[in-house]
Amino acid sequence: MSEATKGDRLEGAHVLEQARLHGPSVPSLASHERPRSLWSDAWRQFRRHRLALAGLFTLASIVLAVIAGPELIPYDPERIDFRAKSSPPTLAHPMGTDELGRDQLVRVLDGGRVSLAVGLAVVLVAMSVGVAIGAIAGYAGGWVDNALMRVVDVFYSMPGLFVIILLVTLLGPNFWTIVISLGLLRWMTTARLVRASFLSLKEQEFVEAARAIGASNVRIVLRHILPNALSPIIVAATLGIAGAILAESALSFLGLGFQPPQATWGRMLEEAQKMVIHEGHWWRGFFPGLMIFLTIISINFVGDGLRDALDPRRLERS
Amino acid sequence: MTSYVVRRVLQAVPLLAGISVLIYVLLQMTPGGPLAIAENPGSAGRVTAEQLERLRNRYGLDDPLYVRYLRWAADLLRGDFGTSFNTGRPVLEMIGERIPVTFLVTGLSFLVTLLLAFPIGIVSAVRQYSVFDYLSTSVAFLGVSIPSFWLALMLLYVFTFTLGWLPSFGLEDPRQDYEGLVALWDRARHLVMPVTVLALVSTASLTRYIRAAMLDAIGQDYTRTARAKGLSERVVILRHALKNGAIPIVTILALEIPDLFIGSVIVESIFAIPGMGRLFVESAHLRDYPVLMGILMIASLLVILFNLLADVLYAVLDPRIRYR
Repeated sequence: MSEATKGDRLEGAHVLEQARLHGPSVPSLASHERPRSLWSDAWRQFRRHRLALAGLFTLASIVLAVIAGPELIPYDPERIDFRAKSSPPTLAHPMGTDELGRDQLVRVLDGGRVSLAVGLAVVLVAMSVGVAIGAIAGYAGGWVDNALMRVVDVFYSMPGLFVIILLVTLLGPNFWTIVISLGLLRWMTTARLVRASFLSLKEQEFVEAARAIGASNVRIVLRHILPNALSPIIVAATLGIAGAILAESALSFLGLGFQPPQATWGRMLEEAQKMVIHEGHWWRGFFPGLMIFLTIISINFVGDGLRDALDPRRLERS
Repeated sequence: MTSYVVRRVLQAVPLLAGISVLIYVLLQMTPGGPLAIAENPGSAGRVTAEQLERLRNRYGLDDPLYVRYLRWAADLLRGDFGTSFNTGRPVLEMIGERIPVTFLVTGLSFLVTLLLAFPIGIVSAVRQYSVFDYLSTSVAFLGVSIPSFWLALMLLYVFTFTLGWLPSFGLEDPRQDYEGLVALWDRARHLVMPVTVLALVSTASLTRYIRAAMLDAIGQDYTRTARAKGLSERVVILRHALKNGAIPIVTILALEIPDLFIGSVIVESIFAIPGMGRLFVESAHLRDYPVLMGILMIASLLVILFNLLADVLYAVLDPRIRYR
């Protein structure tokens, strides 16, 4: 039994159950309610997912701190102050300082701007490529679909981190080469998802109706099919940000991503490595890593919540 | 069945060819061509003009792109992966020295993953919503979100700097010449942290899959039938539910191995383990392109091989799958 029919059957059972419980009052109850859009419906659903809400709150706090923090803190992320070097966390430096006396809090926040920006930009690149390729493959079908899916197979069979390292090494590490290298290795899942949605959606009556009134292919794809295929794309994009941040951090941690003096979370961990292991300056590694961890886990919770909220087959729609 | 396997193997060939084309195109993107680093005036002391000329002739850099690609691909097929810019040694030889170490680390991690993920996942599913289930699902969620390099760094702080229990790098103590059991113990002490870090992430994700698969299997009619027959709970879970639930898991397991392999890049780097991943990162720092290409080809081959294995195993284990 396919997923879709399983869902239908359960949904049907649910309606029957309702009818049994409430008798004829069910239809009139529904007519009293204001019609709800997909988005407000999804939000109502999302709000019930407590961990997702907590994730959203944490994520919002991190974004806010990263944007406003460096402006409010009286230190410069690159200012060297040897009088305060290698200080453990104190009131003046809540995350301590490094061996050059640079304030770690302001560096973590400043680095966070880069890490988060990379995450967003990578997902933008990956989603553009993935949606475009998936849409073309699914809508066109035939040999176009076949050829594009073989390209997806090739990209899927490449060991991601190795290729990313090679690309960044070849192109030289800067913001855009890192973003494009990461993006080029992260679009395949989206392409497959979008293709699958398009394959089933393009056979539906509403697409046929649009075609019958003379809508162009571009219009059908952009106005009729894509909006209906949006839910899995949104979930994939959300989780993709976490993956991209993690990949950038790994790259910078290996010393192959962003170069000094620019701080990113991964870069700070790389700089911290020797000091943590040999000098025991735990704060150097703890805080940048904690930021990565909190960001990733928040995004994962939000992604989980979105998946439930946007799933049209879910049972509770109240 | 045989024809299915043969067909799947044949399908892997164009895949590998596609990857090699992509990698070759990448190589051509090197600023100034593949010999840029050798031509770099900074390295003039190491590479003489004569050597440079020899390299140019050897790679036939003035031929058209497709000729160069075909020659390169033919060399690959003969097992000639070129020579390292850095050491001047054959790439395949360098990889050959490093790959057993990577296999050791990933193999052990895989074993640990199996030994942890199956019991935890099964108990979690059998006692759904119990304290154990909540605990293990929470830990699994933390495990998939934690950056492995951060975990490694914090373990190093606790177990090497603070407690002094475990060595921080390498595979053996270079100052000692241990033999027999002592050497084995020394090796084990060096491997504890790298294997723990590498295994944790895959254990976390695998536990989630096993729990889901077992929950699905436990809810099926055949499990109810087995219970109704009066079989003991142990037999019901292990013989009936697990055997059926494990089919999709086998696929995930086969795909987990290349992931471990790729993840070992980070672990080998932080713990200074002389494996293939570390060789890759070192070569990236040195811009040693022949080595990078060689490792990339080998790693791609492994990914394809395990994908193939996953598909074939799935077909073998699930009689409902027809091999068209």
